[in-house]
Amino acid sequence: MKVSVFFSILSCKLARFAIRLLGRGGTDFPGRVALKLCPHLLGTLAKDVTTILVTGTNGKTTTSRMIEQALTDSGISFFANKSGANLLSGVTAEFAMHSSLTGKCRYPYALIEADEAAFKAISRYVDAKVVVVTNVFRDQLDRYGEVTHTLDNIRIGIGNSKNATLCFNADDSLSRSLADEVDNPVLFYGVDVPIYKERVAELSDAPYCIRCKHEYVYDYVTYGHLGGYRCPACGYSRPKTDVSVTEVRSTDTEKSEVVMTADGRNYDTTVNLPGGYNIYNACATMACGKAMGLDLEVVSKSLSSFACGFGRMEKFDIEGRSLRMILIKNPAGCNQVLNFLTNTTEPSLFVVCLNDRAQDGKDVSWIWDVDFERVVEMGDKLSGLIVSGVRADDMAIRFKYAGLPLEKLQVIKDYDQLIKTCIAQDKPVYIMPTYTAMLGLRERISKTYGFKDFWE
Amino acid sequence: MELKICHLYPDILNLYGDRGNVICMEHRLRWRGIDVTTTGVSIGEPLHAADYDLFFIGGGQDFEQEVLLGDLGVGKADEIKAAVVDGKTFLAICGGYQMLGAYYKTWDGVQCDFIGALDLYTIGSKERMIGNYMFTCEELNGQTVVGFENHSGKTYLGSGVRPMGKVLIGHGNNGEDGGEGARYNNVFATYSHGCLLPKNPVLCDHILTTALAQKYGTVQLEPLDDTLEQNAHLYMQNRLQAAK
Repeated sequence: MKVSVFFSILSCKLARFAIRLLGRGGTDFPGRVALKLCPHLLGTLAKDVTTILVTGTNGKTTTSRMIEQALTDSGISFFANKSGANLLSGVTAEFAMHSSLTGKCRYPYALIEADEAAFKAISRYVDAKVVVVTNVFRDQLDRYGEVTHTLDNIRIGIGNSKNATLCFNADDSLSRSLADEVDNPVLFYGVDVPIYKERVAELSDAPYCIRCKHEYVYDYVTYGHLGGYRCPACGYSRPKTDVSVTEVRSTDTEKSEVVMTADGRNYDTTVNLPGGYNIYNACATMACGKAMGLDLEVVSKSLSSFACGFGRMEKFDIEGRSLRMILIKNPAGCNQVLNFLTNTTEPSLFVVCLNDRAQDGKDVSWIWDVDFERVVEMGDKLSGLIVSGVRADDMAIRFKYAGLPLEKLQVIKDYDQLIKTCIAQDKPVYIMPTYTAMLGLRERISKTYGFKDFWE
Repeated sequence: MELKICHLYPDILNLYGDRGNVICMEHRLRWRGIDVTTTGVSIGEPLHAADYDLFFIGGGQDFEQEVLLGDLGVGKADEIKAAVVDGKTFLAICGGYQMLGAYYKTWDGVQCDFIGALDLYTIGSKERMIGNYMFTCEELNGQTVVGFENHSGKTYLGSGVRPMGKVLIGHGNNGEDGGEGARYNNVFATYSHGCLLPKNPVLCDHILTTALAQKYGTVQLEPLDDTLEQNAHLYMQNRLQAAK
């Protein structure tokens, strides 16, 4: 063992300890300290660990939590990067924290969520056994650039993952193309049937064939650009799936009931989170389970028992009232949240909390690509709407131009006042914050009402 | 009165919420009792420019923009050029703005010919110009416009075209000459996403007035309650000034 490894692990652990003493949840800084001292630390630490990498635009965190539950229920000893530490520095820190000072990991398995831009760097050091790509959507363009750029980055990471079984979303014409020109075993997962009777009006992020630029024809669309696509010009199309959702029995604001099929067997599955995108996350989890050789009956059961938290339909019970928090970050994800939230059967209060820090995306233009008109169409089911966050004023005009009656609209920028107003409601409250707004709100809620901090 | 809006390539040039500009124009007309219809015209669909009063062109991704060049070549480019000469009103953002010019040359020298309706051209650079920014417009009596720019192309104007505004904070056309956007006849072109018009209602009304005046002669728009719009405008204006 090199001395630099010892010292970088030590400094990482000390830095993390110090940050915790300060009562903060930073996971990035300790990793940066460690990488400074030993740039190849991650390669050393991950060498003998069987690792699952999860990447893609939307659903990384939820899919990781689902896989986590499946691994636990399958009796596998592993660690996971829990608090969204998904850049090279954060992943390095997570490995260091779960290793001895000599660089030996305490777990035989690791489950790692990788930021789609950082995946190519992480995969240089981590020889993954399974790589799961959730999907590729248009995301914070100031940070990730165009979708084809994101796709190219993931492609480089896939090229680094020579020994991995690859789990790809068959319904996503973009990430499906990652299977071209690779020798790895590939498992395609997808949803064979439409999910919603009615969908929000949304733009496709990929209307034209990635191979020949002819317009796709769809047999059905599940949401966004996902579904049964084929190119009439060159024949590029949705591939045959290895793991499928073959029936969607019901979806509501709590959960979905579906039938999954793999190797000719059907699995009645309850997905313990609402929304079509979580059906995809569940299907990705089944594909990962198949790649890992897990008992899929166990994986299917895990999907009904897992709890996600951290802003994914997370519930806060405060003074007898429950607030639910659902993270939003880009048009596709936000439209999917609206797909199920606007179907609520009882009058509810909605809150949108828009920040524009680096992790949120500095450009808030994307709110104009979201079908917020759908919220206005809820009529009496929408008891009121509060906008908050650094860019609350932009959110307010978005709703004004969506046609919201202004007497229903409130601008409350102060978080404490916002939380108080939410608790005073006698109706369900759904808060949709962007990433840093979620952190800020959670912090205020945990300080005032004694909830756990996110790194615990 | 009635305004007919043509939204060019709404399914391709649809980046960064630019469609919000159309939503904004439609509402601000209807709130004043002026009829408005918006027609999307995309690939393979013929364009009869004489049918419309106001054209909107947004920004797009490079991948889809290539799909579009072939389609422009078979008729649309000529229609657009003629409409510009005829004094039809245009609002073009970012990629749409560049496309009205003569060409785009990548930083390593590959040239892509565009519509050529305006005497301007764009040179790609390696560094992107990204961020909230602000400029002033003389024709809006010095009123500021706030938005978000995100482009690697540097645009240079020919002698017949004047900038839409003067950059106060940010990069604008090329980060060199202090100009932002382009004005020619009744064409308004800018790099500003944000979305542009909702938080710059004065600019929105100026563009609508231009289009209506071209059709009906002198037009005076009724004032609206723009409290929320001004809040969003002032928030960004103050924030940019404070950071200066």
